[in-house]
Amino acid sequence: MTLALVGGTHRTVPLDLRERLAFSAEQAAEALTRFRDRFPGSEGVLLSTCNRVEFYAAAVDAAPPPAEQIVCFLAECRGIDASLLVPVLSREHDEAVVRHLFSVTSGLDSMVLGEPQILAQVKQAWALAQESRTGGPLTGEMFQAALRTAKRVTTETALGRERISIPSVAVADFASGVFERFDDKRVVLLGAGKMAAETLRYLRAAGARDVTVLNRTAGRAVELAARLGARPGRFEELSGELAIADLVISTTGATEPLVTLDLFRQVEPAREGRPLVVLDLAVPRDFDPRIGSLPGVWLYAIDDLAAACAANRTRRQREMPAALAIVDEETRRFMGDLHHRSTAPVIEQLKAGWSETGEAELTRLFRRLPELEAAEQAEIRQAFERYAAKLLHPPLASLRNESRSGPPHGLLDALKRLFDLQD
Amino acid sequence: MHAFLSGISLVCFVASYAVALALEASRPLFRSAVRSMLLVGFAAAGLLAHSLFLGWRAVTEPAVPLSSPFDWYLLAAWLLAAGYLWLTLANPRTPVGLFLLPVILLLVGAAQLSSRAPFPQNPATQAWGVIHGIFNLAASVSVALGAVAGLMWLIQAGRLARKRAPLQGFRMPSLERLAAITARSPGIAAWTAAAGFASGMVLNAVNKQRGLLETVPWTDPVVLRMGALVVWLIVADALAHAVRRRPDGGRLTAWLALVSLGVLTASILWGLFGATRHGVPPTRPAPAAIDEAAA
Repeated sequence: MTLALVGGTHRTVPLDLRERLAFSAEQAAEALTRFRDRFPGSEGVLLSTCNRVEFYAAAVDAAPPPAEQIVCFLAECRGIDASLLVPVLSREHDEAVVRHLFSVTSGLDSMVLGEPQILAQVKQAWALAQESRTGGPLTGEMFQAALRTAKRVTTETALGRERISIPSVAVADFASGVFERFDDKRVVLLGAGKMAAETLRYLRAAGARDVTVLNRTAGRAVELAARLGARPGRFEELSGELAIADLVISTTGATEPLVTLDLFRQVEPAREGRPLVVLDLAVPRDFDPRIGSLPGVWLYAIDDLAAACAANRTRRQREMPAALAIVDEETRRFMGDLHHRSTAPVIEQLKAGWSETGEAELTRLFRRLPELEAAEQAEIRQAFERYAAKLLHPPLASLRNESRSGPPHGLLDALKRLFDLQD
Repeated sequence: MHAFLSGISLVCFVASYAVALALEASRPLFRSAVRSMLLVGFAAAGLLAHSLFLGWRAVTEPAVPLSSPFDWYLLAAWLLAAGYLWLTLANPRTPVGLFLLPVILLLVGAAQLSSRAPFPQNPATQAWGVIHGIFNLAASVSVALGAVAGLMWLIQAGRLARKRAPLQGFRMPSLERLAAITARSPGIAAWTAAAGFASGMVLNAVNKQRGLLETVPWTDPVVLRMGALVVWLIVADALAHAVRRRPDGGRLTAWLALVSLGVLTASILWGLFGATRHGVPPTRPAPAAIDEAAA
């Protein structure tokens, strides 16, 4: 065993315990320093996010600390009774650790499938381990391979492409389908809902500048406008604002539609045929749904956007098999390399032994044939080296092939006994 | 080099465009990291072969370069193919080829069916002939681009009305952008087609006045179809202006652009299969030729 993982996620650890177990950056750095002192010779990386706390341990020449010790170590660091953590923290070894890390980094284990933030969090965790000098060659290679895997999943599947939050779908999939640019559009914000502010954040990122906030309470409109960097308007001038608006985001708490079909029909001539996008995020709705069937009006209620989000989420799920196949392939490759690396000392001994024997034979031969010139000696030396390399190739290739399916203990033992190699 | 250039045929670039079209059609079916590269590669290879083919003809044909109906269709297809490659490089996620490549392939098909003989020429009217051809070419390309944008507008509007998120790999340009293209195309097409028609009349009048070449009567199918096309394009432009401030103006303009392409296609088919005096060599020798023979 060279790799170990102890950790819990949103699926296994209840929220209240997860909150207590979570590490801030400073706490994580402190914990890693303590780990280095407690387990010298072991490598350790601590990944702590809102949804998971995971400790990756590794050792090149020995076994990493036992899982139970890591559980106790984490409990001690956070001042939690270890008996609370024992039943909820999972433990993995070797290949399962690699597979898990690759899945986590690719966003396959996230609460929101395919979310990209985890990649940055994994990078930060690795950087912190390096700073704390608990990151080593084995964890280094594993984390680099994890980042490569995540990149492959991003480029070779559409897992992270589909938007799944209502504000992002509203702006990127619908409003951007109607308007090419937003810097010349007039946006009207009706109400003060949290989702309106979030949607406005996406619109701002898309270039929206001209934003007017309307609220029944004038003071609230002024306050919200100041907070969002928008202009406060008068709610009584709703008709006038509708006449000049290009995009309306509505999130009031009104129990009846604020904009009826009759009201909109009165406003429509003043709009001079300009298209209007309405994101009606209020429940009950602020716009009469019949307005959406009028030409030039693109009306999306919260349910429409939620349905689009659900469809996108299903599409993400459909990408899972392809993403898992990549994780599987990369895991096998990494483990194959890891196993093959464990054969390095035997291979080096084998090569050194053959080289030594060959050199002794050459020396004897050149002594018997003193008439040989330097060029001829070099030719003979090269021939010997080629011969040795060709003879060594089949056993080394067998070792490499065997490494792909696990540590090649049997072959290594056979080589050691056949060629009298020392441990 | 000569053997290589003369060996380039229509098949070379039609095959490249067809593969690019198949790759475009596969966008919603599966994701591929190399598709964009392959797509651009085939489109660029097609355009290169297309350019070399036209260049070779321009150099080797004894008449004014690219002055046959065959060359005219190929030149129109070349302009659209160049536009397609540029748009694909600028917007790799937009499946513009799915709409433009069929038009390009149809134009190459029309070229294959049309005459490769250059239009009869005389040095005195050559400039008018070139102007006539360029304006007609610009009008046709403008109609085609407007129709492609119109079709894309209708598909995008349909998707937005059904409240569906865009399909994978099938992200259309915004309605605003597409509407801007469809709104401009009837005007450009109308004015260039009218200029093409007028320059054709001048060309015909000069031929008639000087007795240089065979003149085309007003009742000739080509004159009638071009006249009808010009009238329709002017009407379409006027209608597009009239509906500009209506809420359904975008949709109506998109349909007008598609009808314009229909009228243009009908006009081309009429030209391909109808009997005409347009572009036909004179049945009697021109006076200059008679003088030379007498001498």
